[in-house]
Amino acid sequence: MNKKSAWYIIGFMVVACVVFGTGVSVVHNATLGLLEKNQRLHRNRVICRAFLIDVIDQSPESYDNAILKNIKIRTITEGNRARNVYEQIDADTPSIGFDFGGMGFWDRINGIVVLSPDLEKIINIQFFDHKETPGLGARIEEEWFTDQFKGLPIAWEKPVSDRIIFGHATGAGTVNRIDAITGATQTSMALRRFLNEELERIRNLKIDL
Amino acid sequence: MGNDAKKIFKLGIIADNPIFRQVLGICSALAVTNLLVNTLFMCFGVIFTTTLTSLTVSLLRNYIPQRIRMIVQVLIIASYVMMVDIVIRATAPDIHRFIGPYVGLIITNCIIMGRAEAFASQNRPLPSLLDGIACGLGYSIVLVAIAVVREIMGFGTILGYPLPGVDIWWHQWTIMVMPPGAFFMLAIVTWIARSRDREEDAAS
Repeated sequence: MNKKSAWYIIGFMVVACVVFGTGVSVVHNATLGLLEKNQRLHRNRVICRAFLIDVIDQSPESYDNAILKNIKIRTITEGNRARNVYEQIDADTPSIGFDFGGMGFWDRINGIVVLSPDLEKIINIQFFDHKETPGLGARIEEEWFTDQFKGLPIAWEKPVSDRIIFGHATGAGTVNRIDAITGATQTSMALRRFLNEELERIRNLKIDL
Repeated sequence: MGNDAKKIFKLGIIADNPIFRQVLGICSALAVTNLLVNTLFMCFGVIFTTTLTSLTVSLLRNYIPQRIRMIVQVLIIASYVMMVDIVIRATAPDIHRFIGPYVGLIITNCIIMGRAEAFASQNRPLPSLLDGIACGLGYSIVLVAIAVVREIMGFGTILGYPLPGVDIWWHQWTIMVMPPGAFFMLAIVTWIARSRDREEDAAS
């Protein structure tokens, strides 16, 4: 067989592509169930953390049950965009959660923001996914950072960009501010920008509870 | 074979170490070494890919057309990297969220193609397999060493566990978990290794 002939080269590439493509497909299909289960578990864990729902047993089934029992999820469309709205059921003061997201330092950051029924304060914030720098921007997921949002009032009377302030704030007694992340200024600034923009859009949704 | 294997490992890990001798795979060495656990998964990915790529290229070396050998090597490397990526995503989703982009970049890691082209395409399967393992290990040892120092100095932790009384005796250096910290450490490791080589050369 002449290895320099065009037919040999084309034939070799076709066979190589089929063989290696099949290998990747086999691994992909073998782990498909596990991937879906992981994704579902991650999403449920984030929603439960956002609504401060305690799940004692950490199994995927427990998280599924906790969501079914406590949260009603519906999707609303704003122009071309679909946004999930999460309503707490069987609670004295039912909180309401919204998907939110925007461009971070490296890539898009997606999360859930849970608000009080009157939208006057944030109950909690958690993140579904992001690609911020490990150890720096990725610290937005850490408890010390997200805990700062718990009970944080939204200054609706201020311009959109100042309703939640990250870092230094002028004026004594500013209650709508949190600490930014040292060494992750760009991530902090990006989060502040799109969180405020998303809060404005959420308010304009005029959701009926 | 015993002596050959020993020689291949010595070359891959020390004398021809991919990081401080061949200066290959630097991008990922800088990117993933601020946390040890991320580094370990990255090392697993690179060892898996170098080993299987070298073995496959060696097995196919007499059949791969010379003119398209690099395209074929990229196809082989990309397939193994995609498999690693899928396996890490399925088994360790939390870690994959952090190192996912870098795992994909193993495809462009020069160590793998460098060894496939320089060694595996000219040698029998077993030595090629050992060369792949040795180079993967050589890369991993340096990365782990850098990651241990960066995590301790940057976070005061090791594998996420705080060191005893760390707040008393150490104030974390944020710069060590930022990209400059990786450059400092890489330069120091290369400096130590090269100085040692020079001493050995002078002695012989």
